[in-house]
Amino acid sequence: MGIVTDKLPGALEKVPGGNVLVTRFDEIINWARASSLWPLTFGTSCCAIEMLMATGGPRHDLARFGAEVARPSPRQADLLILAGTIVKRMAPRLRTLYEQMAEPRYVIATGACTISGGPFIYHSYTTVRGADEIIPVDVYVPGCPPRPEQLFHGLLTLQKMIKEGETIREPGVRRKPVISALPEGITLEDIQGEMKELLVKENVVDVQHAVDKLKWPSGLNESSSGDSGANERGAGDGA
Amino acid sequence: MEREALQAAVCELDSTVSPLDANADRAAVIVEASALPAIVRRLRDQPQFAFAQLLDHVAVDWIDRGQFELIYQLYSFKHKHFLSVSVFVPREDPRVPTLCRVHPVAEWQEREVYDLFGVLYDDHPDLRRLFLEDDWVGFPLRKDYQDDFMLDRPR
Repeated sequence: MGIVTDKLPGALEKVPGGNVLVTRFDEIINWARASSLWPLTFGTSCCAIEMLMATGGPRHDLARFGAEVARPSPRQADLLILAGTIVKRMAPRLRTLYEQMAEPRYVIATGACTISGGPFIYHSYTTVRGADEIIPVDVYVPGCPPRPEQLFHGLLTLQKMIKEGETIREPGVRRKPVISALPEGITLEDIQGEMKELLVKENVVDVQHAVDKLKWPSGLNESSSGDSGANERGAGDGA
Repeated sequence: MEREALQAAVCELDSTVSPLDANADRAAVIVEASALPAIVRRLRDQPQFAFAQLLDHVAVDWIDRGQFELIYQLYSFKHKHFLSVSVFVPREDPRVPTLCRVHPVAEWQEREVYDLFGVLYDDHPDLRRLFLEDDWVGFPLRKDYQDDFMLDRPR
């Protein structure tokens, strides 16, 4: 219950035998929708490999955010992650896929090609200039391709949007689309340094660290003794 | 065979074959369009060449010279060597004999080049568009291709 009250606006009242949570129905529904997004497996070019499949794997692991159940059928999915160039021949199929998805459905457009046509915007006989010419898009994630962390940022943005968004009185009315870029101040050098540090760390086996991990944490005994002392004092007060 | 030796040996096959002077890492020759199927068949059948596979067939639009360059990449499983065969045809009337009878895989590769460049292959069994819609007008990989959908880069 503690987890729910962290995420849900509402009043928690203590009654004998437990708690009563008072909230709005919209909040419950939106919380459930945001916490269990099922993406459609849809990749048309390089973004799908570099970003979408990388996030599905164990290194980045989309499962941490509750959106790992990628479905091969649009009828079982409610999130469409557009990863890759949309060309003229793909456009009717994309529209069909979108319309086959059950309501409420959400769309994240990732990568330069999907958002605007990207490098193929000029002198191209076939690239659609932006997926939002075909279907409505909720969150844009820029990049070429975006890093997996950027897709996470986009997903969290979408979850925030869903929680703030629809009501059962006006279904389908949502907030305007947003651009989910990484926060300002993160430079390429930061990311490269982080990657380098990770690579070095993973390629060097630290024996002492492994041994330390096997040992019992030293702080545990101290804290448990402190707790027992408090209990004794409390018991003494009561007596 | 080494690159220079292979190029020289292929050029000795016939008078219609001449070396292509390119800074490439594989042997390259120019063949006249009319002699192409016969030359490629001999390259396939003669044991010292044994070019049993047509790896790829592409075209280049040299609009300044008014020519299409048709490039056939050949590979030999037996000798593990490559050969690039180029054919130059005029842009106004791009016609070349088909290679379907020599390498059956050429049928679809030639359909692709026809689809995007509009090169006509004489005696091809099924010369239709491969990727684009059947009612598409024009050949989009030609340098002078224009349509209503296309955007020009603003200056």
